[in-house]
Amino acid sequence: MPKRIVIIGAHAAGVDAASAARKKDRTAEITLITDEEHAGYSRCGLPFVLGGQIPSFKSLIVFPQTYFQMMKLNLKTETKATAIDTTKKTVETVDKHGKTETIPYDSLIISTGASSFIPPIKGKEKKGILSLRTLEDGERIDRAIKKGAKTAVIMGAGLIGLETAVAFHERGLKVTVVEMLPQVLPQMLDPEMAKTVQEMLEQKGITVLTGKCVEEFLGKDEATGIIAGGEQIDADLLMSAFGVRANTQLAVNAGIALGETKAIKTNARMETNVKDVYAVGDCAETIGIITQKPALPQLGTVAVREGKVAGINAAGGYALFTGGLGSAVTRLFDTDCGVTGLTETAAQRFKFETISGTISSKTRAEYYPGALPIRVKLVVEKESQRLVGAQIIGGEEVTQRINAISLAIQKQMNARDLAKADTAYAPPVCETWEPFVLAAEMVLMKLR
Amino acid sequence: MVNINGSEVREGLYYTKEFEWAKVEGDKVRIGITDYAQKQLREIVYAELPSPGTTITQNTPYGTVESVKAVSDLVAPVSGEILEVNQEVQSKPELLNEDPYGKAWLLIVKPSNLQNELVKLMDFNKSAEWHKTLK
Repeated sequence: MPKRIVIIGAHAAGVDAASAARKKDRTAEITLITDEEHAGYSRCGLPFVLGGQIPSFKSLIVFPQTYFQMMKLNLKTETKATAIDTTKKTVETVDKHGKTETIPYDSLIISTGASSFIPPIKGKEKKGILSLRTLEDGERIDRAIKKGAKTAVIMGAGLIGLETAVAFHERGLKVTVVEMLPQVLPQMLDPEMAKTVQEMLEQKGITVLTGKCVEEFLGKDEATGIIAGGEQIDADLLMSAFGVRANTQLAVNAGIALGETKAIKTNARMETNVKDVYAVGDCAETIGIITQKPALPQLGTVAVREGKVAGINAAGGYALFTGGLGSAVTRLFDTDCGVTGLTETAAQRFKFETISGTISSKTRAEYYPGALPIRVKLVVEKESQRLVGAQIIGGEEVTQRINAISLAIQKQMNARDLAKADTAYAPPVCETWEPFVLAAEMVLMKLR
Repeated sequence: MVNINGSEVREGLYYTKEFEWAKVEGDKVRIGITDYAQKQLREIVYAELPSPGTTITQNTPYGTVESVKAVSDLVAPVSGEILEVNQEVQSKPELLNEDPYGKAWLLIVKPSNLQNELVKLMDFNKSAEWHKTLK
C-alpha cells in the first residue's frame, strides 16, 4: 500500500515538504490541507503588492494548480484541520460547507504557520485593526487605501511593519510607525545601524516614534486611533505589526510538545516528540547555529529548508536541518538592509563578549558615477575571534555580501580568515577593498 | 505558434492535459512534453524513459522527468509500441528545457488505437484555449 503523507498547511514549508516527499517516494499519497482559498503563495511579497511594485496579489502565487497536478499532490483548500489523533494516526478536517472528513496518515507534517497577534492593550477588540499575513489581509488593506484612506499608523517597526510603512507611503498615505523598543528593526540591527535606517525613513517623510508603547485603541466600535506614549494619534488605517505567534493549538491539543520559544519542539530531522509527526516553518522551533540554543527564526528561507528535510524524512528518507543563522534582508525605499548571525545586542543576551568592526564604503569605486553608500558591521566573539554576525545597510549589493558572510560563519571562520578573503574588483561594480574585509581588519586591530 | 502567458503552443500537434504533445508522422507518433511543463519543472536533470519494444498505454505513466525541486510522471498521450527512445535526452536532459517540441522529443511509437485515441486529445486551438486557463 502506498505511504500516506498528510501535510497541514500549504505555503512555503508545506509545499516544499510535499515536493521533497514526492521526489523521495513516487507512489506515496500526499495530501495538503489549508484553510485558505489560495495555496502556495509568497507571504513575503504582500507588502510589495501594496506598494505597487508587484502588479497583483495573484502574482504572488508561486505554485499554481498545475504544479500540484504535475507532482500528484492532493490539495484541499478552504479545509480546516480541526484535530489530530496521534494514536489512530488521523487528521480530522472540515471544509467550507461544513463537511467533515477523517484523513489517515503514516507520516504527518504540521506546517500551520504563525498568526499576527496584538498584545493585551485596552480596546484591542475594536473592529478595523488590520494585519498583513494572508492574501485576503492584503486585499482588505488595498481596498481600504482605494476607498480613500489618507493616514496610517503602524504598530511595530520590525520587517513587516517597515515594509508596509514604505508601501503605504508609496501609495500616498501619511504614515506613522510606533515601536515599543528604542530602535527600528530590533531583531535585525544594532541600535547605531538602526539609526541610519530610521533617519532615512524620516527623511522620506515617515514619522517614526521609537520607545513608545501603544497604550490604548480609541474609537467607538471601530478603532480610529491609538494612544502611544501618552499621545493621541488618529489614523484612517491602523495596522498591527507587533509580531506573529506560532500556531500551535492543534499540536498542543494532540499532545505534541512545545519548546522554550513556545513553538513546536523538533529535532534535526524535524520530528516532534510524537512518532511520525513532523513540524516545519513558522510554527516549529529549531536551533541557532552559533548559540546551539532553541531559536524561532520565522523566515521563509528557513521554512522551505525545514520543509524539504521533513518531506524527505516523512517519505522514508534521511535528511537533517541543523539550524539557522537568521539571515534576512529587506529593501526599504532605495536602501537594502541585511543581517546574518547575531547582532551585538543578541550576542550579549547569550553572554558572548564581542568585538565589532564597522566600515562605511561605496558600492562602486569612489570616482565611479552612481556609487552608493554601504555600511558593513561585523560582530566577532572575543576569545575565539570567530565571526558570529554581520549587518549591512547599503544602496545596492547587500544581499550577496550577507550570503558570503553567512557562509563564512557556517564554516566557522574567524576575523583573520575574513581579513584575508580573496575578493573581486572592477570600478563599476565595487571598491578595490571589499568593505567586509576592511571591517575584519578593524576587528583585528581592536583585538591587538 | 502562439505564446500564451510565456509558454509556447505549436500548430500541428495534439495535446493532453497531462502536459504532453503527440505528433502524427505517417504511421508513427512522436511524443514529448510541452513548453508549459518544462517551464513549470525548471532545470530538468533527469529523464527516466522506457525501452524500445515495450508498450505504452494512453493516460498511463510511462516514465518520469525530474528537476532540482520537482518531479513529474510522463503520461502517455496515445497507446502503442515504442519504436525509438531519444537517447540524447537521456544523456542531456537539459534539452527538455531548451527545445521541448524539437530536439527533446521523448519517444516514437507505433500507435495501436490511434483514430479512437486522437479524438480524446486537444488540437492546437483547443490546447491554446486550455493554456489560457493555466497560470
